Amino acid sequence: MSASWKQLLFQILLLVSCRRINTKTPGPTAPPLVPITSLPTDERSASLEGESHTEKVELLNPVNLSLACTWTGNQNKLPNITGFWRKDGDEVENSQVTVQLEGDQYKLKRVFSIVSEESLGSYSCVFGSEEAKIEFVLAAPQVGELRDKPIVSYVGDSGVIACKMEETKPKPITWNWYKANGTDKEQIFAVAEPLRYEIKNEERKTKLVVHNLTEADGGLYYCGAVYAISTTMSHVELRVISFQEPLKPFIAIVIEVIVLVAAILLYERCQAKKNYTAGNGTIDQTNTMTQGENIEPEESSSVRQRKI
Amino acid sequence: MSPAPGSDLGYKPLDGGWGWMVVVGAHISIGFAYSTPKVLSIFFKEIQENLGASHSEIALISSIMLAVMYAGGPVSSVLVRRFGSRPMVILGGLLCAVSMVAASFGNSIVYLYLCIGIIGGCGLSLNLNASLTIISKYFLIKRPLANGLAMAGSPVFLCIMAPVNQYLLQKFGWRGSLFIFGAVMLNCCVAGALMRPLVPPRRPSTCAAQKNVEGEPNECNTKQKRSGMVNAKTFLDFTFFKDRGFVIYLIGNIMFIFGAYAPILFLSAYAISQGVEEYSAAYLLSIMGFVDMFVRPGTGLIASSKWIRPRIQYFFGFAMIFNGTCHLLCPLIKCYAFLVTYAVFFGVGFGMVFALMFECLMDLMGNQRFPSAVGLVTIIECFPMLLGPPAAGLLVDFDDYKYLFFMCGSVIVAGGVFIFVMNIYNYHMLEKEKPAKVREQNQMSVENQDQASASA
Repeated sequence: MSASWKQLLFQILLLVSCRRINTKTPGPTAPPLVPITSLPTDERSASLEGESHTEKVELLNPVNLSLACTWTGNQNKLPNITGFWRKDGDEVENSQVTVQLEGDQYKLKRVFSIVSEESLGSYSCVFGSEEAKIEFVLAAPQVGELRDKPIVSYVGDSGVIACKMEETKPKPITWNWYKANGTDKEQIFAVAEPLRYEIKNEERKTKLVVHNLTEADGGLYYCGAVYAISTTMSHVELRVISFQEPLKPFIAIVIEVIVLVAAILLYERCQAKKNYTAGNGTIDQTNTMTQGENIEPEESSSVRQRKI
Repeated sequence: MSPAPGSDLGYKPLDGGWGWMVVVGAHISIGFAYSTPKVLSIFFKEIQENLGASHSEIALISSIMLAVMYAGGPVSSVLVRRFGSRPMVILGGLLCAVSMVAASFGNSIVYLYLCIGIIGGCGLSLNLNASLTIISKYFLIKRPLANGLAMAGSPVFLCIMAPVNQYLLQKFGWRGSLFIFGAVMLNCCVAGALMRPLVPPRRPSTCAAQKNVEGEPNECNTKQKRSGMVNAKTFLDFTFFKDRGFVIYLIGNIMFIFGAYAPILFLSAYAISQGVEEYSAAYLLSIMGFVDMFVRPGTGLIASSKWIRPRIQYFFGFAMIFNGTCHLLCPLIKCYAFLVTYAVFFGVGFGMVFALMFECLMDLMGNQRFPSAVGLVTIIECFPMLLGPPAAGLLVDFDDYKYLFFMCGSVIVAGGVFIFVMNIYNYHMLEKEKPAKVREQNQMSVENQDQASASA
């Protein structure tokens, strides 16, 4: 076990003193993996002065994670208090211990083996009977820049869906794509259907191209960022519509334009006829200028001046 | 104070009546012309994702469209002079509609450059030129007001089309949106229908008949000579450069355009760098556009007044100096409230300059020369417009945003001062030359009366 004690020496101790109930950004990630036969260990701790606090922990690889809670207590500082751990709302078996008041603080600590996706989740240390609670949310890095609006594409067109992991977060091992099928997710294998699907993976970005779209291709698509510990998902909706949809407003607007232009030109013709039948030159010939007119600037023109 | 070249129309313009409907048409047409390159940028992110293009490749679409719109000036002025405004605006509307509809079927960036950039740009250039020309034909006394109202189309359409385009994008994706936007641009044809032509097409038969009767150069030919019409075949009439007023206007305008657009492009980025949140920073541009909407007709109204109208070139110079000063003061502003104030004053300055821009050119050149002049001005303005924002961008990369504002502000102020001072000189020289010109005109009128009495 000397190797793991060496590990402990190199660990980062994270002490977050918090006076509000707001969450803080997660601390630095665990130190790089040193290849050893057993799982590496890591430690996270938080201290609480109020009633509850939530701490986000980002994990990439399986670890033995030691979570430590420190509570300053409330008004009546009992010498002994019970404390237990909870995972995702269910009490962890045999986790109930009696905590002594040491130096005006209660300390609770436990080591958890985080090996797979099931081990991730919300771990809470609870003091007394719900008097104080610190929650550690264990998760793999989430895909950022979620697109909440659906991507609209057309039948026969190629739809492109992209996912991106932020620069500040660690890059995933690879990316997977899934299509929602009812409540399940079916993985998309581009190799199996190269004419239909194309997956372009870069380190932090991934693109799924669906060729020759049909209405059935619409729905939710999930991109999964694969890490050693689990795969984080994010979803985008693809809507496939036919060409008739934009055609309706298009035709409506074209009809409106034709009607307006016809109306304006008809009105003009009516006006011109009215002017003509009322006699040449006696009424304002605003639109015409007879050829033989003198156009010297000094002379007032023979075009009848219109009253403004 | 200023000479009245506008009276060479040869008839008393309407200054009202159907003219106001023409202003509505010009408003729509100019609105589309100026706002389309900007509102199309709403579609760019989706097009970029779908076609797999880079940021700069996509941004080039707008730049090509603007460049073609401005560079097409000379060609469109020739066409407008030959065929009149109405057919050109209708043709422009059809071209734009076709370009957008064709673009919606595109699969490569180069195809979009061709459709939206080149064909769309040509359509817009026809719209712009024809609308300005017909205003000059319908208005004289109230022309600044008409110009202000027509130019107000740009911010109005920007405010309307931006949310409409967002909605279309969400509902129909970029292809459907371009398709429907093409139909929307067909409304330029409605604008064209409103632009009732004033002069019917020339009737060569009457002139020929008269020639036969008299057997000597008659009124038709002298009319042509006197109106000094430039041969329709010349696209670029370089004789304009002999006109002092024109050169002054051009230089001032180039300096203004160079510095005008960069602050708009970088305003939100600057605000964000000063700690303002993204949504509020975008709001600054909306404030500027909103203020612009009301300032343009307001400026037109002021410029129409008896006191300002004769001194309109000075007013133009003042507007530029005001705009430039705003930019120079901007880097001193750190907090959001003052940034809002800056946006308001920026909108005021920007609106004032744009409302007066073409009015001043009309004032200088007169109605006969205006179409060719505006074509020449727009093609020359192409260069500062394309060079200005990248040059400003270089300054931003080099150091803080403040150098950008200093550069733009100082260039615009210099342009305004140049116009102001040089116009004083110009009017002074024109006063000196006036007696000679009056003598020449009297001589020509005597000649004409002799001919008229001879033919009677």
